Amino acid sequence: MAFPFVRLCPRHVSTGLQVCSYATLSKASRPQEKSSAGPVFQYVGQNKKPTPKVFVWGFSFTGALGIPSFVVPDSGRKKPRKYQLTPYRLETAEQISSAACGYGFSLIASSTKDASKLWGMGLNKDSQLGFQRTQHSRHQSYDYVLEPSPVALPLVNPLQTRVLQVACGRAHSLVLTDREGVFSMGNNSYGQCGRRIVEDEVYSGSHIIHNIEGFAGRVVQVACGQDHSLFLTETGKVLACGWGADGQTGLGHHNISSSPVEVGGDLSGVEVQQISTYGDCSLAVSRDGQLFGWGNSEYRQLASVTEATQINSPRHLPLKGCGKVVQAACGGTQVAVLNDKGEVFVWGYGILGKGPNLSESSTPEVIPSTLFGRSQFNPSVAVTRIRCGLSHFAAVTDRGELFVWGKNVRGCLGIGKRDDQYFPWRVTVPGQVVDVACGVDHMVAMAKSLL
Amino acid sequence: MATPAVRMFRRLEGLFCVYKPSGVHWKLVRDSIETNLLKVLNATPSQPLPQEVRFLAQPSTETEAPKGLTLSATSVPVLSKHPLVSGPEFQNIQVGVGHRLDAFSSGVLVLGVGNGNKTLNDLYRTRVTRDYTLEGEFGTATDDFTHTGGVVERSTYEHITQDKLERVLAMLEGANQKALLMYSNVDMRSQEAYEMAVQGLLGPEGKSAPILTGLRCIHFQPPNFILEVQCLNETQKYLRKVVHEIGLELRSTAVCKGIRRTRDGLFTLQDALTRHHWTAADITQAIRQYHSSKKHRKHSLSWDNLNYILLSTDSALIQSS
Repeated sequence: MAFPFVRLCPRHVSTGLQVCSYATLSKASRPQEKSSAGPVFQYVGQNKKPTPKVFVWGFSFTGALGIPSFVVPDSGRKKPRKYQLTPYRLETAEQISSAACGYGFSLIASSTKDASKLWGMGLNKDSQLGFQRTQHSRHQSYDYVLEPSPVALPLVNPLQTRVLQVACGRAHSLVLTDREGVFSMGNNSYGQCGRRIVEDEVYSGSHIIHNIEGFAGRVVQVACGQDHSLFLTETGKVLACGWGADGQTGLGHHNISSSPVEVGGDLSGVEVQQISTYGDCSLAVSRDGQLFGWGNSEYRQLASVTEATQINSPRHLPLKGCGKVVQAACGGTQVAVLNDKGEVFVWGYGILGKGPNLSESSTPEVIPSTLFGRSQFNPSVAVTRIRCGLSHFAAVTDRGELFVWGKNVRGCLGIGKRDDQYFPWRVTVPGQVVDVACGVDHMVAMAKSLL
Repeated sequence: MATPAVRMFRRLEGLFCVYKPSGVHWKLVRDSIETNLLKVLNATPSQPLPQEVRFLAQPSTETEAPKGLTLSATSVPVLSKHPLVSGPEFQNIQVGVGHRLDAFSSGVLVLGVGNGNKTLNDLYRTRVTRDYTLEGEFGTATDDFTHTGGVVERSTYEHITQDKLERVLAMLEGANQKALLMYSNVDMRSQEAYEMAVQGLLGPEGKSAPILTGLRCIHFQPPNFILEVQCLNETQKYLRKVVHEIGLELRSTAVCKGIRRTRDGLFTLQDALTRHHWTAADITQAIRQYHSSKKHRKHSLSWDNLNYILLSTDSALIQSS
């Protein structure tokens, strides 16, 4: 039995392709030529490398986003943009390898040997971005830096040293270099910059960028808490200085320390591979996957070992069911760890990421991997980086996707709305995210283009 | 009283799927199946004609006695019920089509007969995903996104590697997963939203933009590549556009050479009838199979759970049930 088929008129290529290449070609039958004349466009060569990009979002009036037109519009028609709710591209001169967000300011650094390798933007009332000379007077420094401005580090060999990492706290910042140690700038009223405390020192407009001494070996990682600093040496030892009223320095007392002192407690003899802090609680991950914590425990962050509200000496935290811990991230009231299988565990107080019903927990709770994109089509998606802001979390997966959750302080989550997010939500970043830095009310993400 | 034709029709009521070849409009498929079924239904041996008793005037053999008509009862067949008078028993039957396939595509097309059309409505309303295999080719861009369209632009594709394609697919999948969450009408601040997100149940109710719930590359040989997609609320033109956009993301161009639907809800290519099997006997058997599998499924779970199966882990759960 034959039933009629609709005969498809084969569409044919026009020979006059050079003239116009839009769909104004008539669809009349013409013989189709496979090797037809016509330009072949090449958009990208074989050796194209992905372009590095930086994205910022959050509260912009402090200048921490580094986009001056958000604060001071450059055209009469534009209005100031107080909250940038979705990722916005920040044009940088060099490829940025490290970024840190403090309380209202950010530092971005490139691992280049050129003269300018460190830029700062945002609040500068305590010279946490160094001395930023004003246009009109060379003795005055800007209180708010609206654009990424170079920070002049007093390096001995400025064209040989590279900046490895930056860290920012409430009003101070630390810069780690590969050959010249750690530099600190900003507020030193509690000794967090690692230098002697001067009474009634005026920090605004200060030129002091101090090269911290007193390290036995080379420092490989720095972390800034609210008013204290932590340093990790290559031998796995942790040193701390700064405010200790909550025991966050871990030195066994609740006093101020104005120079780095090695922490003891359960960490003596342990090789630490990562340290993390942002508020008043501090965490360290050892090379064999154990977690140690000290400092504030008012929000049950260290409740697995103590009922007290503070610990001033590091204690080992026995975590049931977490496996080998690879990374830890500490926020203001909450804690997150990442194990070697790419699973994320959270505990503490606040929006933890398991819905509005779970607002506090003293034992680690795992976040289901289906929320990070694991599905039947992609059974092996794993989280590779975990970061904490003051009251939110960020996780980067191995596919380059960024997930955020927590309190949406002034739009810091970057999800396009100002509502709090109770479970991990994707942030639409045009590119693959490599790393992210979380602050109180803004975030900086380093990404690379897809191709 | 049920005639053999009506009994046969009852056996034909239900859902089944056919393999629609490309180049054919779906309406032609539906019409030819309806014609085949009608032919067989009307070819069933008809009931013998009922007889009725009528009082007929006997023709008087004798010519005398003209008065006094003698009527005699005779059993005559009821001619009004003869098929040549009343027409065939079935003039047309309701054959409905599920999710449509345009002329360029091929694959599983779900059809329903008689009472099965009501189930078709339910199929439309539940959130059923469909699986497609898309064949694409790099190097050309056309005006209707297929390889038979008018060429708009040609470009190089030597820089494309499987790794770059995977990255672009991951980005597209991320965007679609986010769209899934955005189109669901659940309040994101509730615990219920979290529970549903964990199980993968968040999704649009009813009409929405097309969303690809799964996307992966199963074959890559430049310039050709084959993608497997799982989608909701899609049209085939949208899928061709997706192939075109993948070409653009890779800084080149791509056209779609073929679309094949491999699964529509719970009907797979395995159960699809090919052209030579579009006969009433094969269709009856397919419908019987559908009814038996439905009964088996009803024992293990309820119709609400079917929604969950169809949206999230489709094939694994089906194979296990």
